[in-house]
Amino acid sequence: MANIAEQPRKVAIICSHGGLDEAYPALILANAARQADIEAFVFFTFWGLDVVTEEKVDHLHVNMVGNASSPMPTMLMGLPGMEAFAGKKMTKQMAEIDLPGPREMLKILDESGAKLYACELAMRMFKREKKDLVPEVAEVITAGDFYDMAEGAQIIFT
Amino acid sequence: MEANGFDPRLTQVLTQLEAIAGQMDRLVEQQKKQQELIDDLLLPVSKEVMASATARLDALEKKGYFAFGRELVKIGSRIVETYSTEDVRQLGEAVTSILDTVRALTQPEVLSVAGEMSGVLAQADTTKPLGLVGMVRATRDGDVQRGMAVMMELLKRVGKGAGALADKQGRSGTQKEKLAAALGPRKKNLGIERPAPKQLPAPACAAPAKPAPATTVIDGISFTADGHLADSAQWTKTLAETLSATQGVTLTDAHWVVIDFARKDFAETKASPNIRRITQGAGVSTKDLYSLFPKAPGRTIAKIAGLPKPAGCL
Repeated sequence: MANIAEQPRKVAIICSHGGLDEAYPALILANAARQADIEAFVFFTFWGLDVVTEEKVDHLHVNMVGNASSPMPTMLMGLPGMEAFAGKKMTKQMAEIDLPGPREMLKILDESGAKLYACELAMRMFKREKKDLVPEVAEVITAGDFYDMAEGAQIIFT
Repeated sequence: MEANGFDPRLTQVLTQLEAIAGQMDRLVEQQKKQQELIDDLLLPVSKEVMASATARLDALEKKGYFAFGRELVKIGSRIVETYSTEDVRQLGEAVTSILDTVRALTQPEVLSVAGEMSGVLAQADTTKPLGLVGMVRATRDGDVQRGMAVMMELLKRVGKGAGALADKQGRSGTQKEKLAAALGPRKKNLGIERPAPKQLPAPACAAPAKPAPATTVIDGISFTADGHLADSAQWTKTLAETLSATQGVTLTDAHWVVIDFARKDFAETKASPNIRRITQGAGVSTKDLYSLFPKAPGRTIAKIAGLPKPAGCL
């Protein structure tokens, strides 16, 4: 990369939603940053915590209600089990183009040197402990810690 | 008698002879009469009979009775050829139930329902098409509800019969297996399972790399603006060593495994492999890849291997 600035480039990505479709932008952006030799870390907060929660990461859903791009009428998408169905369908489509699942993406991120953090407040709110999270999460940090770490970084909120 | 000098026994014989002659005459006479009778009566009659019989048979033939009969015989022989005596015996046992069924089917009530049904079918061209909502609305009708109940019961019986048949034919299994057999191969479960591709599929979201215009030429080798080799055919192993030095990488065997895979994959797919493809294809972990080529491994590998910049997000 051309030297845009003296210090290395850095991105801080905040993942605040737990839907499958909402988790991917954060994960892909972080991965793309690492591939471009940009330092990256992801802060999982609120529903985004689901993405790094051991019991949830393999069952992320897609909520199509209120989604104008949904191929189905909103009325139907509100039926019970629809978000799980949409999630499975999307997972299948992703597998078809050989896109790794969320858990594998987290592993790739970790191996490529991106740092993953969980939000302390959200952890307390959802009554989760560090042991409930996937091992790739480096630390549970506060919003203040986040700002300290994000110094000099571009911040992306998803 | 004595005076004539004849032996009285001779006289007896003569008398008897005479009597016999008389009988003979009568016999002959009768014979004649019979012959006449035959000639006059029987022959014409029998001729008549024969002619009429022939005519009748001819008429029957014309009506097709014999063709029918011949066919019947054929059917009979075919039945004999096809079915064993055992089959016929079983048929005999089943005759009562067959007759029962036929009797039940020909009850006036049943026949009238069948008549109604065929009537509906005859009017099929005038019925309006029915949608989902129309169907739901139709279920409010009492007759429709009863009809549905009957249909359900019918379905249940048919299903039971089918199950019994399957059992009889030795195809019994669990409910699930039966269902699977009936429905054919099921689609694989949608979901998390990600079958490891035996052969690497085409690159995930890699568009064919656009040939960037060559801007720099060093020692007769042209490079693109973003520092990749313009023509991958100009690549040599020596060049790779030189290029790796500019990327701050000292090539080891481990590096070469990756570079060789990238070259091979490019030759096959005409696209630079991205990191995910390299980790899967060359058997190197993401972590190792980042430690071998610490800065932007995907691009660095492509540069050293003399390939265009990899496309795609992974």
